[in-house]
Amino acid sequence: MEGWCKSLMVSNKISFYKLNLENIYLILIFSILLWAGCATLFDYRIAHEFPYGYLASDAFQHQTRAESIKDAGNYREEAFYIVAGNKGVIGYYPPLIYHISALFSLLTGIEVYDAIYFLIFIFGCLAPIIIYFIINHLNKHIAILSLPLSILIFSRAPYIGFTWGHWPSIIGQFFLIATVWSLIKKPKIFLLTILLIGTCFSHTSELIILLLFIFFLVTIKKINFKTIFITLLLFFIISSYYLIIFKFTWMHTQPYRFNILKDWGGSPIFKLSDFKFISPFIILGMFLSLFAIKSLPILFSFFMFIIGYGNYYGFNFRAFQIRFFWPLYLSPFFGIALYRILKLIIKKIKLIITIALAIIILVLLLKTSYTRISYPGLMDKEHWQLLTWLKENTPEDAEIYFFYGDIYDQDALLRNVKRKHYLVATTDYIQAIKSRIIKSAYLTETPSDAGTHFPVRKGLFNYKYLHSANYTRIMPICDKDYYVIDKVSRFKPFAQYNLLLLQSLLKNSWIKKVFENHASIVLMNTNTTKECIPKEGIKIG
Amino acid sequence: MDKQFKNLIITFIIAILIFKLVFYKESFITIIRIVAIFFWIFVLPGFIFLFNYKLNFVEKLVISIAISTALIGITSYYLGLLGLNIKHHWILPLIYLIIGFLIKNVKR
Repeated sequence: MEGWCKSLMVSNKISFYKLNLENIYLILIFSILLWAGCATLFDYRIAHEFPYGYLASDAFQHQTRAESIKDAGNYREEAFYIVAGNKGVIGYYPPLIYHISALFSLLTGIEVYDAIYFLIFIFGCLAPIIIYFIINHLNKHIAILSLPLSILIFSRAPYIGFTWGHWPSIIGQFFLIATVWSLIKKPKIFLLTILLIGTCFSHTSELIILLLFIFFLVTIKKINFKTIFITLLLFFIISSYYLIIFKFTWMHTQPYRFNILKDWGGSPIFKLSDFKFISPFIILGMFLSLFAIKSLPILFSFFMFIIGYGNYYGFNFRAFQIRFFWPLYLSPFFGIALYRILKLIIKKIKLIITIALAIIILVLLLKTSYTRISYPGLMDKEHWQLLTWLKENTPEDAEIYFFYGDIYDQDALLRNVKRKHYLVATTDYIQAIKSRIIKSAYLTETPSDAGTHFPVRKGLFNYKYLHSANYTRIMPICDKDYYVIDKVSRFKPFAQYNLLLLQSLLKNSWIKKVFENHASIVLMNTNTTKECIPKEGIKIG
Repeated sequence: MDKQFKNLIITFIIAILIFKLVFYKESFITIIRIVAIFFWIFVLPGFIFLFNYKLNFVEKLVISIAISTALIGITSYYLGLLGLNIKHHWILPLIYLIIGFLIKNVKR
């Protein structure tokens, strides 16, 4: 049985580009993926009036960071409005996606919020094509049959990788797959080094997984140790600057700790059962693959299957991110199973038959497993107009206080004001509504990206951390420069309370309305030393 | 050499058509601009380095995108740290094209 994949290997002749059946198939799959995952979400446009299809805070986190790099011209530091108003915080996120998005936005003229999201989908749709070429080393027919499974990256759980902002992991896995391709293709040092660095600068979790895989391959003598040694040497030299930052930022706040994680705090997790009618084929394919386990594509698939369960042995939620691309990593098993079954029926399988079958499978998966999302997302035109107005019409050192708004708990979107900002804590707001009182001080959050505790570099290996517990506390509201009050809400009591708060603030002659649209009102406080609401509060109703 | 560049041009045209079909509400001019810049930043730099690699053209194209993204992204990051504003980084693909051509000619 172990001879079957060698005996059936289609020759990998050098072929220059011609519009042949295989290329047409690849173009078709890429186009369908782009349409299904990206175009339907984007309302069949690339450029939008506001961040479109953004469904969670993390998506805005990456959008605002890329935007800040475009503004600053570099990523030496985090923009102050991302890190709770602190200045001098070193740029600590893996920088690649932000730089290419900012550059792409600058040259195309489309906004950063469109550029970055578009590029993530492009990489997401190209990853299956690279997987195809990895599996192609095994057998072309298996590769063709495996490819339709890639549509499942746009099924319920994996799709959040795109829509909820797990973008560094998406691009990290794109580079992980590309690097594995280069390992399979008689690795060249230049290619390997560049792709390894690309992985590191995209998302370091995937780098760790890649290094583990490389170490495993060296151990079983599947790849040349000398090539890997030189590659890693070059990699560490070129990446050292960022790796030092990584060590003193992410590794400082999120060191490795063994734990077992069974859920993801409400986020959907992709499971084997989510393959639905495909699952039996995958299991059969896994069994059949055991007879060809020495082949690199098969080893990689099994490896990523095991990594996907890393939540049980210390990889934490990073394992769940790997599962976004399980439809790609495990697709060879499906292809192998289907191919063996096909061989029982048809002795000589022609390419056209394989492609036709693959397209039928793709259509079935589109009907049964693909999750179509087609709405603007969290942001709307009115709120974007508000945030843009604040960005363009307030001094850079202004402090902006956001009262309750339905979308504001996804607080990274507030960073689009590019000012130090505060957000009332919903729990305290609810308490005030119940107590029928407008207060002079509320429990307030200073929304920020505090994942690395605001590191400031004092020396190459010397960092100070500015994070304190004070970023959520009872805060007086009368010393803020601007107030944002939403006029409408899904919850009537919030909207009513907001309007009463608005009226109370406007009773002060030094507070005036400076902006209004259908969604919100902005008040400017021209005297931040005066008491705008009495200390005892104002009883309402 | 001519054949690969001819194929690249054909690919560019096919890409415009695909993107216009998929993003049908987007204007043609915007699509052309986006695809052209995408090729400039994410295809050409990597493609020139893979020019002499014996690969299927589509395979070469896709891996070129990975290489270009890595090259441009990493260089842009470091140049930004050194003080060159990102608005000037449009020239990076040109620099890599020149380096790639020089390496190719030296190898000959």
